[in-house]
This record gives sequence, C-alpha cells and structure tokens, in this order.
Amino acid sequence: MAREPRPPVVPPVVVEGETLRRLREEVREFLAEQIEAGRFTPHVDTWLTRWDRDFTRDLAQRGWLGMVIPTEYGGQGRTYLERFVVTEELLVVGAPVAAHWVAERQIGPSLLRYGTEGQKRHFLPRISRGDIVFGIGMSEPDSGSDLASVRTRAERVDGGWRLSGTKVWTSGAHEADAFFALARSAPLDPAHRHQGLSQFIVDLHASGVEIRPIISMGGDHHFNEVHLDGVLIPDDRVLGAIGEGWQQVTSELGFERSGPERYLSTFQLLAAAAEAMEEGSLPLDPGLGRHVARVAALHQMSFAVSTALEAHADADTAAAAVKVLGTTTEGDIADYVDTLTASGWIEDEELYTLLHAAILQRPGFTLRGGTNEILRGVIARGLGLR
Amino acid sequence: MADLERLAVSTRPDPDLVGMLADLFEAYRSTRPAPTERVEFDPALWAHLDELGLTRLTASESSGGSGASWVEGAALLGLAAAAGAPVPLAEHGVLGAWLLEEAGLPNDGALRTVCRPDPSGRALNVTFARDAAAIVALWEDGDCWRVADVPTERTRLTERRNLAGEPCDTVQFELADLEAAPLVADTVGHQFHLRGALARSAQVCGAMERVLEVVLTHAREREQFGRPIGKFQAIQHLVADIATESSLARAATDTAVARAATTNWQDPGMLFTVGVAKSCVGHAASVVVRNAHQVLGAIGTTLEHELHVLTKPILVRRSEYGSVHEWDETLAELAASAGRDRLWPLILTGRR
Ligand SMILES: Cc1cc2nc3c(=O)[nH]c(=O)nc-3n(C[C@H](O)[C@H](O)[C@H](O)COP(=O)(O)OP(=O)(O)OC[C@H]3O[C@@H](n4cnc5c(N)ncnc54)[C@H](O)[C@@H]3O)c2cc1C
Repeated sequence: MAREPRPPVVPPVVVEGETLRRLREEVREFLAEQIEAGRFTPHVDTWLTRWDRDFTRDLAQRGWLGMVIPTEYGGQGRTYLERFVVTEELLVVGAPVAAHWVAERQIGPSLLRYGTEGQKRHFLPRISRGDIVFGIGMSEPDSGSDLASVRTRAERVDGGWRLSGTKVWTSGAHEADAFFALARSAPLDPAHRHQGLSQFIVDLHASGVEIRPIISMGGDHHFNEVHLDGVLIPDDRVLGAIGEGWQQVTSELGFERSGPERYLSTFQLLAAAAEAMEEGSLPLDPGLGRHVARVAALHQMSFAVSTALEAHADADTAAAAVKVLGTTTEGDIADYVDTLTASGWIEDEELYTLLHAAILQRPGFTLRGGTNEILRGVIARGLGLR
Repeated sequence: MADLERLAVSTRPDPDLVGMLADLFEAYRSTRPAPTERVEFDPALWAHLDELGLTRLTASESSGGSGASWVEGAALLGLAAAAGAPVPLAEHGVLGAWLLEEAGLPNDGALRTVCRPDPSGRALNVTFARDAAAIVALWEDGDCWRVADVPTERTRLTERRNLAGEPCDTVQFELADLEAAPLVADTVGHQFHLRGALARSAQVCGAMERVLEVVLTHAREREQFGRPIGKFQAIQHLVADIATESSLARAATDTAVARAATTNWQDPGMLFTVGVAKSCVGHAASVVVRNAHQVLGAIGTTLEHELHVLTKPILVRRSEYGSVHEWDETLAELAASAGRDRLWPLILTGRR
C-alpha cells in the first residue's frame, strides 16, 4: 500500500466550472447597471456598514438571496459554491449588502441545521425574500474571545424563557429585526464551562429590548449595545436544544470564517489604487503586485474550502487559515495604500474616501468573528500542537 | 457529487503516482548521507528515477518521455524538493526536454541542464552543469530564439556553488555552437521563463511543506520549562504562520499548474497566474524560513541538522526565473493597466 502524505492544511484547489463562470457574468452585469444608475456608491467593508433593504430585496428577486435554502422553504436550493461566486461579485464592487449579510451567511444555514419545522417555515421564506434582517448576539461586555463566559441569563418561565443581560458590539442591531442570543440557561459549572448554554431567537422589537448605539472611531454607527431586560422568549423560539448552545454556536462560527468577506473588505481600495497608479496619481509600485497576488491566492483558497464544505468535509483548520491570512491581507492593503500617499493629499477625492474608511475599519478585520490570535490557536490545534 | 463536478473541477495528481513518489523520496530521505556544506549530484538516485520513467515525466512519449501532465510533474518536483534530492529534475526533465522538443532535436536521455547564455555566449548559475552530458541553451539571436544542445565538453566551465552549496557553474559556449542551432517559435523565450518560474514555485512549496513537518516534530519533542515548546502559545503562532503562508503559496502554485495543464500553457492568463504563484511563494518563503529557524533554536543552525537542506534551497529557488521583486513589478503593471473595473476579472482569469 502506498503511503499517503499527511493531509494538507487547506484542501487542494479546484477550478471553477462553466456554470459558475456564467453566474458571475450575470451578477456582474446587474451590478454594473446598478452602479451606472447610481443605486449605490462602491465602498469598503460594505457587508458590515451599508444597509439597503431595497437593494437586498432586488437581489432576492433575481434569485441571489436564500441561495442555499431549499425551495420548499422559499429559497433557491442552490449550492454553497454558487452562493460563493455571487458573494464575491457583490463584495468586489462594494455593494450595500449588510442588510442580508448575517441571515444569508449563518442564520439560514443554522436554522436549516437546528431549527424546528415551524421556525424554518416562518423564517426561511422571509430571509429568502430579504424581508427580515438578522444580527449576531454573542459578545458581551465581559465575554469577547472567551465566549463561553457569557452571563446573559435565561430563566425558565411558563411557556418559555426570560432573557436578561447585555449583548455588545452587535453590528446592525439598530437595523435588525432579530438576533440569535447565546445565553446561560443553567448555572455555570466551572468544570464544564461549555455546558448549560443555549441559543434563543430574539425579536429585537419585543418589549424589554433596548438598543443603544455605540459610535465607532470614525463617527459611524454600526455597533450597538443591546440590553435584554426579562425579554420573554416563547418555547417555539428556542433554537435547537437547550444546553447545546456551545456546539451550535461553534458550528455557526464555522460558516462565518472562510468566506470572501475575509479578504475582500478593502477590494475597492485596491482597485482604486491600481487605477491611480495607471493614471500616475500614485507611483507604480511592486507592492500592488504583491497584494493583488495574495488576493488572487486567497480567492483560490477560500473557494477550495467552500468546495470542501459543500462536500461535507471537515474544514475548521482550513477556514481559520483563510481568515487569518485574508483579514491580515485586507488590512495590510489599507496600510499599504496609506504609505504611498502624502498627508493632506486630496487630489483624488474618491480614493481618499475609500482609504480613510479602510484605515478606520481595519482594526476590526482581525478581531471580528474570532481574533487572529484565537484562530492561530485553532490552526495549532489542527496541527496537533494543542 | 456529479453536480459538484460541473461547478468545480478537481485537478489533483494521480494518487497512485503520488503515493509511489512519497514512498520513494521518503526512502531516499531516511538513507541519504548526512548533510555537508556541498551538495553533490546523486547518480544512483538519478538512475533509479530514470528507470521508473520519472526523469522526463512530462516530456512527450514520442520524444522518450513519460507523457504525464504538469499536475504530475509539479507533484514530482515538490516531493523531490521536500527530500532535498540533489537531482536536476526541473532542468533536465521539465525545461531541457521541452526545449529540445520545441527545437525538434533528439533527446537521448543523458543528463542535461539548461541555461540562457547572454550575447557573448556566457551563462551564469547553470545548475549541475559539471554533471551534465550536454547543456541545452536557449539563445536570443536578434529577434528570434534558438535552442542548442551542446555537449558539456565543448563548453568552458567554471565551477561555482550557490547559497545552497549546489553546483551552479558559469558556462562559456562557443558562439558558433549557438549560432548554428535550430530556430524555435518566438514564444519559447517567454514560455521558458514562465515554466522555469512555475517549476521553482512547485519545488519551494514542497520544501516548505517539509519544513512544517520538521518544525512540528521539533515543537512536540523539544522540552523546556518542563513541557514541549509546542505548548507555548508564542511557538504555536510561529508554526501556524508557517502553515498558513505555505498553504497560500500552495494554492497559488496549484492554480497555475492546473491552468498550465488544462490549456497546455496556451492560456493567455499564464503570465499573471504564474506571477501570483511566484510572488506568493517568494513572500511565504520569508516567513517560513524565519519562523522555522526561530522554532528550531540553535540546533537548526547546524550543518548536521536537516533544516538548512530545506531552507537554503527555498531561498535560492524563490529568486530564480525572476526575483520576487521583479514578479511583483510585473503583477503591478498588469494590475495597473487593468484598472479599477478590470482588476477583478484579471485576478480570476489572469487575462486583461
Ligand atoms: C467590527 C466588529 C464587528 C463585530 N460584530 C459583532 C456582532 O455583530 N455580534 C457579536 O456578538 N460580536 C461582534 N463583534 C465582537 C467580536 O466578536 C469580538 O470583538 C471578538 O470576539 C474579540 O473580543 P473582544 O473584542 O472582547 O477582545 P478580547 O477577547 O478582550 O481580546 C483582546 C485581545 O486579547 C487577545 N486574546 C484574548 N484571549 C486570548 C487568548 N486566549 N490567547 C491569546 N490572545 C488572546 C485577543 O486576540 C485580542 O488581541 C464585533 C467586533 C468587531 C470589531
């Protein structure tokens, strides 16, 4: 028997087939029309900062929402790979996609895996139409990387649960209709910290929910603090099984990690810099080539991971690798362009706008969805060091 | 699964071949002599590879090769590099054999290396020239290209060694030998550069993957402060970065190899695609070499240790067939001329 070498950290690359190439063309054409018509201004990090429900509904009408949701639940019943190319095309033009981002990426797949039939019938068609906006209710003031330490409490009451606590850094909560909250439903057992956690589907318009803005350093409002003051969660809004919250939330994070938003957040800036070099307003510099090369390779890596996920292969380590490299690269692009420009330089208003937004968003790239330090630990575990 | 195939096409090398190569080079690695500061051509290994039809794996069968694709060729180069095998597989099998075919010259299978002599007929850094029976020279003659197959004894050879201690000689040809050589297509010069760059990328990827194994073993076995150093988070992060950077280089290289294999190098996007591989490989090498030596500590800096058998060739090969800087410049020019709206299609297809 031939000896198989150790499996690679990242699954082998695959070549995009004809179906996907055609889909790209279709999406690209639509987006060019939208930009032409002034429907949106291309920007950086739009998946976190640009909500446009009308745009989201337009995508739904074209069949580019609810893509991996089966048709019986109002979705498109397509593959993760088709969703991958649509996602990439939306991100590279900096389209306003924040309104459906969380639902499309992780809420839909989580509901499909853990939701009851009733929850699926209720939420999935709304997600697929772009009629409901979701946020993520994981982090808390004292629980960042150490997510299992969340203190939001769920108390059993007649017919459901009452949630009390504070969620923080909730992106888009002020625009959202609901989020999945991770809460402690049984007292903490220090020897088994991952037990006693549960996920709840929280209506953000319900009584007892208070959403307060947190203003980011550039003056934008995308973060919030969400106070839950005895919010009543009926039994049919418990996600999955009580006590299984940790396992569910980590699988949800898996969907979050390796997608194209992990290397394309600053693509519009990179593209604008390339244009500026051609026009001579920035010096032609090999650093551009270096960053372009990394983005190209990251695309291949991320596509390979998506293919593995589509085939139900385990890809936790690979997903962490994409996220560490991708978020570092997209941040480095902001810093790189900054090193080429002189202070106070405003000749190219558009480039300047993109650059400043990218610099201000950059610190978040390597934090959100699990910090790069935590992810390097995931990779080290995958390599057998932990 | 059938559906999946229409969406995404896998281009992995034949698993039986890969298994056979892995065994062969593993056996070589476990029995090879202890490293010295000089790397010498290994005739016994070469003869063995030749018997198995591996020395000209990707050359056409009609020319005496094995007719395999670049996907298999790259796998061979990578595994050989991972074992630090001192044999000119890229020079003889991938580049030399191809040039002879382009020129319509016969190939008797004797050991060859390749080079691109300057207008005075001199070539620098010709790997294993002293061991080769003949040297295949690609010569730019005005606006056309010629390929000469010159017996080594007809050249004047100055023995030199590169950073890795490999034979890397200066070769002076008789101009008459070059001038009389057959013409080849205009594209051959450019193609040679691309093929050389991609062959080097495949070799560096293989060596970097072996570095990861060496580092992992050391991190598990070496103990300080009463525990394996791999338990320290600082070490884990150094190792994680070796893994991610070499994976990125691998993704870029395999993409270029797949594109070369499926289009027989005819894809107009090859320049960009090879450039992406060479750039990612080159920058990955910086991190991999630095971090690996950091994790290994002092023992990793010694002659007897395996690490330098990998790290030195990694640094040598990332700079051959265009420096990292040159490839970054090429990519920058392609990206700038694509401009804002065409940058993304360029990234996906390599075409403008
Ligand atoms: C832009 C943005 C959007 C976000 N959106 C949401 C959202 O919608 N919903 C939500 O729930 N959360 C959201 N978050 C929160 C995000 O998940 C947390 O920021 C993240 O988990 C890190 O937590 P923290 O900020 O409290 O940092 P901390 O966990 O306090 O970490 C601070 C530093 O310490 C390091 N560190 C911590 N533990 C370790 C360890 N064990 N080993 C080594 N280093 C360690 C970290 O890597 C980091 O460098 C968002 C964050 C950002 C920046």
